[in-house]
This record gives sequence, structure tokens and C-alpha cells, in this order.
Amino acid sequence: MQPRRPPLPALLLSLWLLPRLALAAAAAAPADPEYNDVPGQPPAVGLPRGILQLAARAALHFFNYRAGSPSALRVLAAVQEGRAWVDPQKGCKVDLVFSTEQYNLEQEGEEHLGKCSARVFFKNEKPRPAINVTCTQLFDKVTRQEKDYLLYKQMKQLKTPLDIVSIPDSHGHIDPSLRPLWDLAFLGSSYVMWEKTTQFLHYYLVQLSSVKQLKTDDDSIDFDFTVLLHEFSTQEIIPCRIHLVWYPGKPLKVNYHCQELQSPEEGSGIVEGSAMAPNEFSNF
Amino acid sequence: MRGTQGGGRGPGLSPVDRRTLLFCNFILAVAWGRVNFTGDQVLRVLAKNEKQLSLLRDLERQKPQKVDFWRGPARPSLPVDMRVPFSELPSVKAYLKSHGLAYSVMIKDIQVLLDEERDAMAKSRRLERSTNSFSYSSYHTLDEIYSWIDSFVAEHSNLVSKINIGKSFENRSILVLKFSTGGPNRTAIWIDTGIHSREWITHATGIWISQKIVNAYGKDHVLKKILNTMDIFIEIVTNPDGFAFTHSMNRLWRKNKSSQPGIVCIGVDLNRNWKTGFGGNGSTKNPCSETYRGPAPESEPEVAAIVDFITSHGNFKAMISIHSYSQMVMYPYGHSLEPVPNHEELFDLANDAVKALYKVHGIQYIFGSISTTLYSASGITVDWAYDSGIKYAFSFELRDTGQYGFLLPASQIVPTAEETWMALRTIMKHTLNHPY
Repeated sequence: MQPRRPPLPALLLSLWLLPRLALAAAAAAPADPEYNDVPGQPPAVGLPRGILQLAARAALHFFNYRAGSPSALRVLAAVQEGRAWVDPQKGCKVDLVFSTEQYNLEQEGEEHLGKCSARVFFKNEKPRPAINVTCTQLFDKVTRQEKDYLLYKQMKQLKTPLDIVSIPDSHGHIDPSLRPLWDLAFLGSSYVMWEKTTQFLHYYLVQLSSVKQLKTDDDSIDFDFTVLLHEFSTQEIIPCRIHLVWYPGKPLKVNYHCQELQSPEEGSGIVEGSAMAPNEFSNF
Repeated sequence: MRGTQGGGRGPGLSPVDRRTLLFCNFILAVAWGRVNFTGDQVLRVLAKNEKQLSLLRDLERQKPQKVDFWRGPARPSLPVDMRVPFSELPSVKAYLKSHGLAYSVMIKDIQVLLDEERDAMAKSRRLERSTNSFSYSSYHTLDEIYSWIDSFVAEHSNLVSKINIGKSFENRSILVLKFSTGGPNRTAIWIDTGIHSREWITHATGIWISQKIVNAYGKDHVLKKILNTMDIFIEIVTNPDGFAFTHSMNRLWRKNKSSQPGIVCIGVDLNRNWKTGFGGNGSTKNPCSETYRGPAPESEPEVAAIVDFITSHGNFKAMISIHSYSQMVMYPYGHSLEPVPNHEELFDLANDAVKALYKVHGIQYIFGSISTTLYSASGITVDWAYDSGIKYAFSFELRDTGQYGFLLPASQIVPTAEETWMALRTIMKHTLNHPY
């Protein structure tokens, strides 16, 4: 996946914004009686550093999950405008405008940027931020449906049981024939990553580490697998077992269980996480 | 046994003396692999006088052929070496004994030696192949990198030397490349890659940059000026044990492999084990954590080796520690939000470095102090460097920003290295032009 250069004005703006977070927050904001501005305070007290980017990624995880389309996944290109508030009692609110690009750059498609605006609310270090996000259309609807259906057919043609070791491999390579598997895993992981994100913790998908089961005999794709997530601030690698059911055009059904960090006393590392009880088909 | 290479001259080429002919036949036979020398021995005989010498010559003339001289009978007091086929050994040894000719067994079984040598040659050809055609756009194993280092130093010995600065926890050598045009104890620049073993793009970048330096020295006038005044040190595999582990067992291993008695989890985050800011918020005391600081500052041999080397050198002016991923160029501090005294200069320099980087392939890096740009991190390399008096201390986070993360495709190695080089060059140039 080749990186790209976004248009220069957005670049300058985001470069300006990111290291100067405190200034952005101090810019004249409508006085909201419920939230305090954080003018001139060091970021550690109020706003976690990188909060704008973190919020944008969380919004995109949520957006990708709700769209339910493995061939229409978006990733963050650049934050263009951002504003964040912290209320020590309530939480952290972030308003954003950001650009996106399509995840699968090998795929044919116009190379243009989408645009999203979002409001993300972190309730005091709790995961599962509340998100309102709207995005301009990046993919033509018909094209997207066709691509989803093509992906669906490719999945059904995969010979099970699959002899998968890791995707991508150690050298970052993804076999093109296995790309649909990866995209679907990314879609399922988006749900997990959205749910686990807090204002201090954010995640990236590193690898599809194993496929437990892939059932494609019914209409839908029933996919049971484990991924490795990378949590950035702690640098931890978190294995998550994910089970999803997908059919093109239908809402994605996901449940998952992630392994928690080992403490020095527990040798085994199989600890029931506090907020990480398996979620049953968490659609609303 | 020497001299098995090279084609011999074929049989029928005369006039050559018989000894040479036999020797050549021997070589050809070996080369063609048609003859088996299992059990054949080489005996060394010391003839005391002319009489004994002629007895040995007689042995050679017998039919069927009983011996084949490698070092023929010439003068008394010069040893005679002869190959004796396995089937002839009893009779030849009896002959020598009965005539009072003392002998010793030089080679007990020629075939064993031939096999060993063939294996050794194949191995060195493999290694040679991998350096002559060493791929700068692939990821390599520890052995491949260490082998490349030896060849690289040999090929460019006028400019590069290898220094062993210590041993890792699992007793691997810790190696540093020194780029120098001479002069005693010049001011120096330090670059390290691979302190976190899963960040494979960094080792690959270190290797590419090493090659770049030797290639560009004659052509890049800025680099030439730098090397005419300063030395450059590059430590490519800063965490060899961790790196070996990423190949053998766990591609995403970050820490080193040190263990403590009674503690289940292993490994210390080498970038939390430095003295400055040790124990602060940006590290943990949980040995199972990825940012475990270790039992004490500099407890880890991989860190101690660098501290000792840089401290005893005493003349380092810049230190750049390379990581991935996030696309950032940063300066101290990581353990505190307090700006360093020359933060404005560092801000401007980081800005210049990022601009130079962007010009290569259009990749955006952000920049700033570590604590304000990345996160709070305590006991890190560059904080120590700065507090040790190294004013130009930078930490890089290379590509990408999360799409592949640590598993950056090999196709991005060269572009990443090319842009990183321009950023490094900017910092080195500034260091040269601002002596202190």
C-alpha cells in the first residue's frame, strides 16, 4: 500500500495543528456552560496529546463498522480542523473535520480524498466513545455493492480448512488471494477497536494471526479468527478472538474477547478483563 | 588439503612429469566427484638418507599403484607426503616398517576432510552470494546482517571499521560501524537502529544508510565536509537477542531477553532503562509490560555497552535513535514536559529535517518534543544523551502511521531509507556547523 501526499494546504494546517494543540484548544470557542476550555494548560492536565488524531481514528473505526462494507474501508488521511474540551467530571469532547482515503490502495478506484466531520465523546477514561460521524461519499454506492459481492464470492471460494499462518507475514506481505480475508478481519476489528478506544488508549490492527473457522455454506460468511492489536500508548500487543457474521448489505454482527495484560503475579496471562466481557451481537 | 580448486590439465597432456599428472588427475577426480577417498590416508615420511629416499621411490613404481606423492622424495630431511589408498594401507605400512622408515599419519581419512571443505566452501559461497547480491530492499536475519557487516567493512576498509562494544544478555556480540577518515578522537555522531527489535524497518534503514555513506562520500560535498571533521558511528542491531527472537518465535517482540530469578515474564524495554528520568511515569515496574524499565538504570547490558562506549569516547556531539512507527522527528524530553534549554534551536532543526525528508517522497512527518508529540516516556536514550551534554539528540519514528505498522512491506525499505537519510544529513550538517 503506497503512501500518498495529501493536498498541501491540508498538510500545512494539520502540521500546524498537531504540535500546537494547546493553542487550538484555547482558540475562541463558544462558552459552553457544561465544559471548560483548557487555555494555556499543558496538554497532560486536560487534553491527552494526539487527542485529535485519536478521536478521528475512533470515529473512522465506528464509521467503517456501521458501513459494514469490507471493500469500502476508510483510513485517516489528515485532521483538518479540531477542537477539544475536557470536563474533569464528565469527560472529553472532540469536534473534528478530517480527510480520509480508501484503505485498500491496490484496489482500483479514484484516488481522491473523502471528508468527514465528527463529534466524539469520551466518558472519563471509559471505552466505547459516543460517536456522531458523517462522511462525504467516497465510493459510488453501486460500485461498492458490486465490490462487496465480489469479495463475498471470493470468500466463498476459499478452500476450507484454511492453512493460514499470519496475514500479513513478517515482511508485511499479503497474498492477493487472501486479501478478502484480511479486509473482512479489518472490518470486524474496527468494531473491537472502536469499543476499546478511550481518550488515552488507541489501537491499530497489526496482524490476522489465525483463522479458527470460516463457514461459507450458508448464505452469510461466518468467520472466527484471532487478530493482534497494537495499543499505542502502552505499546502492548493484544490478541483478540473475534467472531463475525457478514452478508453484503446487511449489518455486521460481531462478538469478541481480548486477552488482558499479564500482571507479575499471574503467570498464565488468561485474565478476565474488566470491560472485556464478550459482547453478544452488539448492534443497536 | 589445499589446491583442489582450479581445473587440472586433462590426461594426455604431455610431457608433464608423472607427479604433476597424478596430482592433476587427483584434482579432476575430486572435481568430478567420481572417486571416493573414504579411508585413504596421507602419510608423512622422513627419509634419513638417500637409500631411504630411493626405497620410497620404489614404492611409487610398483603396480598396482600403491602410493601417490603429494610431496615427492627430493632430499633427505625434507618430509615426503604420500596418499595411500585404503586398500593399500596395510601393505604400505608394513613396507615402511620393515625398512625402518618412520612415518606419521597426516590425514586420517581424506574423504572426511574433502566433505568438510566442500561444506565450508558452499557455506561461504552462500554468504558471499548474499553480500555480493545483498538485497537492500529485503529484510534480513541476524546472521545475514552480521555477515554483511564483515563484508562491508572488508570492502570499504579505508572508511569503515567494526567495533565490538559488548555482549548482549544471551551473549551475542554488540557491533558498531565506525565511519572515519582518520584523526584521533574526532567529534562524533551516533546513530542507533533496532533498539526495539520488532521495528524491522529501522535495521534495514541503518544498513542502507551505511551503504549510502560509503557511496556518497566522494560525491556529496556536505557529507565529505562532515567526514573530514567528524566520525559517524552506527549501531545497526542495538537489541540482537530481541531481533533473533523476532525471527525465531515472536515477530512482535519489543524488549531484550533478560530474565530475573523468580519472575515469570522476561525482557526489559531498552528505551526505558537509561538513567535520566528513570522510573518516571512513562515506564512501568511490571516485568510483563512492554515498557518495563528494568530493575535499575543501565541494568541491561545492551544499554550499558552504549553508555560505556559513548562516555569513554567523550566527544559525541549528536545522537539519533531510530524507531518505528509514527512518522515523527523528536527531541528531548520524553520524561518531562519541561522544554530543554535549546528547544527553539531543536525545533527549527527538526523542522528543517522534516522538510528535507518531505522533499524526497512527499511523506509527512510531524515534529516536536517527545513528551508533547508522542507520549510521556521515562528513562529513554535521547533524554540521557541530552543530559550527558549531547545537545543534538533526536529520536525518529519512521513509516508508517498504522496501516502496516511494524509489518512494513519490504517494498518501502528503500524509499523510507532515502527520505530518512536526508533528515539525518540535515542534522549532521547542523552539528558540523555548530561546534560546541
